[in-house]
Amino acid sequence: MLVEFDIVERAQAGDAQAFNEIVQAYRRRIFGTVSRLIGRPEDVEDVAQEVFIRLYYSLDQLRSPEVFEPWLYRLTVNAALDYLRKRRKRKLESRVADLSEQQVMMADAAAGSKVQVDEKEKARIRELVDSLLAGVSEEDRLLLTLKEVEGLSLKELEKIYRVNENALKVRLFRARQRVLRAYAARLGGEARKGSDHER
Amino acid sequence: MSAEYRDLEKDLDRLLEAYREACEAPEARPDFMPRLWARIESTQGWTERLWKWANGLAVAAAAASVLLVALQLGSRQQADFYTGTYVETLMAQTEAEIAPAELAGLVAEAPAEHPGR
Repeated sequence: MLVEFDIVERAQAGDAQAFNEIVQAYRRRIFGTVSRLIGRPEDVEDVAQEVFIRLYYSLDQLRSPEVFEPWLYRLTVNAALDYLRKRRKRKLESRVADLSEQQVMMADAAAGSKVQVDEKEKARIRELVDSLLAGVSEEDRLLLTLKEVEGLSLKELEKIYRVNENALKVRLFRARQRVLRAYAARLGGEARKGSDHER
Repeated sequence: MSAEYRDLEKDLDRLLEAYREACEAPEARPDFMPRLWARIESTQGWTERLWKWANGLAVAAAAASVLLVALQLGSRQQADFYTGTYVETLMAQTEAEIAPAELAGLVAEAPAEHPGR
């Protein structure tokens, strides 16, 4: 826990200062999670604010401060899902094709220096993983991201999704298999391209 | 499970780890907290208005219920008036309107039946 239980209890009782402390403590983590879940840096702040607004209005529904973190994760996942659904409704281009402004800027700026090379490599990794994760449903992508990227345990995921561990394992296994197949195909394609190039 | 498959799995794990590092969380703007509170307060204003509307509706619904119950009771009392037959009701009304002495006089003045019939 990044904050003491009594701060959560004070925030539940309506203490604005305690709520501010929670936001300050979890802001960076929520920003990171939202950023990985939605993949658009320019919208991260809005979604993170939405998470904290939902937190503010539903704190009184929290049964005990011990379950605060998984509960906050659930709010985060739900806010990210709602954002992705809205974005899909707006018929924006796919996440893979749609490189965010920041990514484009990074790609444009990458030329020469070590830092820029690193940034270019990071952008390449992001693009590759985003394209692999695009092969599974939005829900499975979020689940995989929480498990494989955020590093949440099955127990934590169980609390977030309120489904039993076995159901989660099956879902995760299938999603991971799909991503693995896509990755193998990608590697195969790159190998073919390489051999064609050599010829 | 083939060695190739295991290598592929390990490779994917490494890639996902690198992805985590590559996705750095963007920094929040300096006005993050003021904007958050402004959004909370604007939502609060809206929910308060909604709450007032809901309260008003609840009061109106309760008043309508009371009115309906009163109307229902009133119509039930009216229905008691019609529990007898038409003749019984007419008799009761006539008895109430005409004093017993008058009624006796009326009976006495009534023409005798025609003996021929």
